[in-house]
Amino acid sequence: MISDEALMLDFQRGSRPAFEELFARYHEPLYGFFRRRLASEESADDLTQETFLAVIRATARYEPRALVRTYLYGIAFKLLAAERRKRTRDQPADLCPISGDDCDDRLWVRQAIERLDTNDREILMLREYEQLSYAEIADLLRLPVNTVRSRLFRARMELKNILAPAQGEA
Amino acid sequence: MPDNHPIAQEELMAYLDGELSPDRAATAADHLDHCRECQDVAADLQGVSRRLMAWSVEAPSVQITEAMVAALAEPRQKSTRQISRGSKWVIGLVAACVVALVLASVTPRMMPQRERFGAPQPNAKRIRQSMALLEPSATVDAVRTQNPMIAHTAQLTLTTREFEKARGAVEDILKRHKGYIGHLNVYAPAGAGRSLDATLRVPADQLDPMMAEIKRLGHVEMESQSGEEVTSQYIDLDARLTNARNTEQRLTDLLRQRTGKLADILSVEIELGRVRGEIERMIAEKKSLTNRVDFATLNTTVREDYQAMVPARPFSVFARFRNSAVDGYRSTVESMIAAIAFLLAFGPVLLVWIAILFFPARFVWRRVRRDPTH
Repeated sequence: MISDEALMLDFQRGSRPAFEELFARYHEPLYGFFRRRLASEESADDLTQETFLAVIRATARYEPRALVRTYLYGIAFKLLAAERRKRTRDQPADLCPISGDDCDDRLWVRQAIERLDTNDREILMLREYEQLSYAEIADLLRLPVNTVRSRLFRARMELKNILAPAQGEA
Repeated sequence: MPDNHPIAQEELMAYLDGELSPDRAATAADHLDHCRECQDVAADLQGVSRRLMAWSVEAPSVQITEAMVAALAEPRQKSTRQISRGSKWVIGLVAACVVALVLASVTPRMMPQRERFGAPQPNAKRIRQSMALLEPSATVDAVRTQNPMIAHTAQLTLTTREFEKARGAVEDILKRHKGYIGHLNVYAPAGAGRSLDATLRVPADQLDPMMAEIKRLGHVEMESQSGEEVTSQYIDLDARLTNARNTEQRLTDLLRQRTGKLADILSVEIELGRVRGEIERMIAEKKSLTNRVDFATLNTTVREDYQAMVPARPFSVFARFRNSAVDGYRSTVESMIAAIAFLLAFGPVLLVWIAILFFPARFVWRRVRRDPTH
């Protein structure tokens, strides 16, 4: 399998199939990233597209110093922050409101995650859902790797305690 | 975590995440095999991760849109300015019109060029040029492997009468050529000339001019240069690194699925840790190799041209007598001090032995005296 970095360099040299492969690999994870953090599917769709548009426009400036995955989530993070600022200005909305479609398990998990400290929650979500390494998370959030590790541990332990009674009731 | 656990709980978590260094991972794996408490913690952590998977999201409807197609057709140097949501449709419409116009205007013989994914040849060339300027890694790698990679080493031994001046000058020359000191030792033995022994690292293209300047500091006793070609070593390392990264990617993908048994997941994570350790080692090796090529090594020795001092005039007879008398007095005093010191050091022991041996010796002596045969 060709690595993401090789694909990105191919894309930089003008290969459309390389971009299509990158899109195929990452559009779903990126959509998941936005979807878990935003209220609507439409916003998640839009921001996923905007992420790829930003990638296309910044191709010439891409430097393979970090993993492509980190690069993509870096862009996604900035877009998300801009979206959140806009939403706070326009209408204070829940990060990801709970809908009637949510099954019990999903509901518990979401409620449990929402009870975590904001920073711990972000680290936990990047690790669990985006599957980023500690170093990538540290790079993205501009934190020392050890801080990421200890916060992640704290978040998981807290989550275990939050989820345990819910599991017991279930 | 209590003292009887060789790894902290955070480390245990890092191990489960494949984020522990290989040596610590081996310790963690060994410990986890037999520690019930840690197995419980591991199970808790795995359980949390498993439960979090319940929050799945629906499949996205995102596809490569017209806006993306239009962006792909644009020259790549444009800024990454964010598009406001409100004006997106306008841009999309304009982009669609542009695409339609371009498609309508090109002749059939240009069709193959159009299939080259938007960016025309001059643009691709420009991108390559800008990459060469901006990116020290990938493009430079390609250039490196095209040209032979030589690690230069040189030796230079000088003698000089103005040692202090030469020492300062070496540092000035090094600074001027943007080099740095690998190591530097200065020896100043009594009764002999001083010497400076230094390993200097200097950008490869600065080696010859710097050597020429250093040679002017004294008389050259020895000079040598050698070059080791490391191209094949570099290419081999690069290929192994790429393979290791691919393996890491595959293992990460495998972990993402998380459908196997706990033991399988753990073994994949151990393997992932090992591969990451290898990648880090190879990156360090590659960096070191690049450094050896980019910076030449100059081993320099500068020796002082030492001349022993000759006394201005011989000593007089009176001075010799006086010196002899002083030496005699010093020897007498020193021998007395040595005798007293000996007595102080061994006197008590001698007294003890004399006290012990006195009566037996006297008895023997008297017996011997009475013996008629003597």
